[in-house]
Amino acid sequence: MKHKSTLPAVFLSPALLILAVLALVPTVFAVFISFQDRELSRPDGRFVGLDNYLALFSDRRFVNAIGVSLTWEVLTVGLTLLVALLIGILMFEYAGPRWRSALSLMFLTPVILPRVSAAFVWKFAFHPLYGIITWPYKAITGQPLDLLSDPATALGTVALVDIWQWGLFFAVIVLKLLETLPPQPFEAARLDHARTWQVYAYVAIPMLKAPLISLAFVKMVESLRAFDLIYVMTRGGPGITTETLDMYAFSQGFIESGRISYASGMAVLMMIATSIVFTVIWKRTRA
Amino acid sequence: MKSVTALLSGAALVCLVSGAMPLAASAAECSGTIKVLAQPRDGLTLLDKYRDEFAKLSGGANFQIDYLNENDRRAKTKADASTIGRYNVYYIDEANVALFASSGWVAPLLDYYPKDYDYNDFDPGRRAVATYDGKVWFAPLTGGGDLMVYRKDLLEAAGIQPPRTLDDYIAAVKKLNQPDKGIYGTALRGQRGSGANVWRWMPFFKGFGGQWFDGNTPVFDSDAAVKATETYLELFKYSAPGTQTGSWDEAVGAFTSGQVAMLTESTPLVGMALDPKQSQVSDKIGYLPPPSPLTGGGYGHGLAIGTKANKDEVSKQCAGLFIAWATSKENEQRRLEEHQFSELNRSSVFASKKFAELYGPDLGQALADTGKVTAVNFWQSPLWPELGDRWGIILEELVTGTRTDIKGGLDELNDFAKQLVARGQ
Repeated sequence: MKHKSTLPAVFLSPALLILAVLALVPTVFAVFISFQDRELSRPDGRFVGLDNYLALFSDRRFVNAIGVSLTWEVLTVGLTLLVALLIGILMFEYAGPRWRSALSLMFLTPVILPRVSAAFVWKFAFHPLYGIITWPYKAITGQPLDLLSDPATALGTVALVDIWQWGLFFAVIVLKLLETLPPQPFEAARLDHARTWQVYAYVAIPMLKAPLISLAFVKMVESLRAFDLIYVMTRGGPGITTETLDMYAFSQGFIESGRISYASGMAVLMMIATSIVFTVIWKRTRA
Repeated sequence: MKSVTALLSGAALVCLVSGAMPLAASAAECSGTIKVLAQPRDGLTLLDKYRDEFAKLSGGANFQIDYLNENDRRAKTKADASTIGRYNVYYIDEANVALFASSGWVAPLLDYYPKDYDYNDFDPGRRAVATYDGKVWFAPLTGGGDLMVYRKDLLEAAGIQPPRTLDDYIAAVKKLNQPDKGIYGTALRGQRGSGANVWRWMPFFKGFGGQWFDGNTPVFDSDAAVKATETYLELFKYSAPGTQTGSWDEAVGAFTSGQVAMLTESTPLVGMALDPKQSQVSDKIGYLPPPSPLTGGGYGHGLAIGTKANKDEVSKQCAGLFIAWATSKENEQRRLEEHQFSELNRSSVFASKKFAELYGPDLGQALADTGKVTAVNFWQSPLWPELGDRWGIILEELVTGTRTDIKGGLDELNDFAKQLVARGQ
């Protein structure tokens, strides 16, 4: 009986130990140095209390980055799920088994592409002089279309690439989820003369609530790490209109100044904020 | 007497041989892989063909070069050099040599650079930017100043003489700008960065008499800076699409693809513009020194010895040997044979018959002329990259219209500079 109760702990402890080393040590270290004034060019540092945190709130780029990150999260998570549901339902409704397989394979390709490669390909496609996407506009109007240099369109354009990668991937998941549902509720709804959109809105999607919430959480976490895509496509520009929190933290830590304590302060705040927000959302959606 | 002479000769020979021995011994001791972190350069890629030569010279060592574009290379070298130090050799440049040297991330080059490779043969301008605090820190791979490069056909068609002054240059850019015909007046750099938009802005700033610091006091928030920024933004109205958030690649790409009438850029542009493989307008190119009063942006990039990865003297000597070999006269001659104009740095190569044969006397003269107006435009301090990058962000905001107050931007930079200096003390 004693053996039975300790066995899980025995099996779990190596994994937990590795997790502690890989996750806990850097986290504790980040918190530790966020109270210092360490810089890359100065290995020594002294404790400065909450100075880094207080300085952050008077830093216009940090405040701007919070806004950009929030917009990015809402835009990419919302639109990814919308695209996934629309395409997934269309495939389920109109495509036969062969087409479904072929389309699923095609829709999986974008997410398999390395993010940096995808970003470079799309950046070139959006180039105002040579880009294949902007070419029709230039051919019709005679004016170049510079979406990535325009503060009004830059973030949306980068978000489009993110949605292209993840929306299509999630569409395949939605299709597979729909295929697992029992046919009877669909038949019952149709017998009651429900329209197609009503079948999905009131029957299918509510039945898929739990996995869709999980998908939303996966995308929320993934969207927080969009650094590579934004870095390649805009570097945070034009100006600071696409500078997210992770991008600004990296910029302060490594690109511009080497202020790793200041950057760690940002990372710690991000960690606290996301933990709180995600917990609240998780609890509310479960209720 | 003969025996004394013979004895002295023998002693001299022994001295010579023993003097050469440390180099031979250190070379013979090199093994393993010398890791290099660099940005893409044709001259470095060319080294791949001659791996065996270096292996033989070094006693069996190999080399591995990892490439990142300029901004990423700067970030990664800083991160690597200050933390784990995986790379034996770093590609550094004029803008961060002070930071790397004062932080102890690189070793004084000449302590480990074999004398036979003749460091003093490098162009004096490149040697100057490789020197900080009286010591040499890197061996140049590229460098120079600026040239104004223009389309002869477009200027002739518009009846415009190649401009010699900035006023004439601005007037010509405005006149030549014909977006409906797919031709833009100029191409500038808008992308943030001390080596990007700020690099192209600085000739205006210095040309109008601007200064960065007086001792530890920032003095750049001046009429010269405002005028420089106004002029830069005025010219940006005629800059090719894509350059507002682009840098060297976008500006040069727009020119070599035939969509830009004239621009002032770093000297390697001429080599690219004249090369039919890289340029669609190679037979229509003219070049002159930058229009007065613009100063040329003196720059130099090169290879330096990392201190963390090279823990002992032998490792440093091996890294030094690699750098010396990679930047040697022989390798530079090979680059000349391959028409790699931007990879040439040695006075002996510029003065060679082959150079005159390939590029003609005009380019040699233009390079000599632009040398006279080439200056160190940036603030020579370890704090420069941080200040320059901060101005780069503000300048990009101004270029893309997300902010409009030039003076407000300079005031913000002024406050930042004061904090920066205080932090550095």
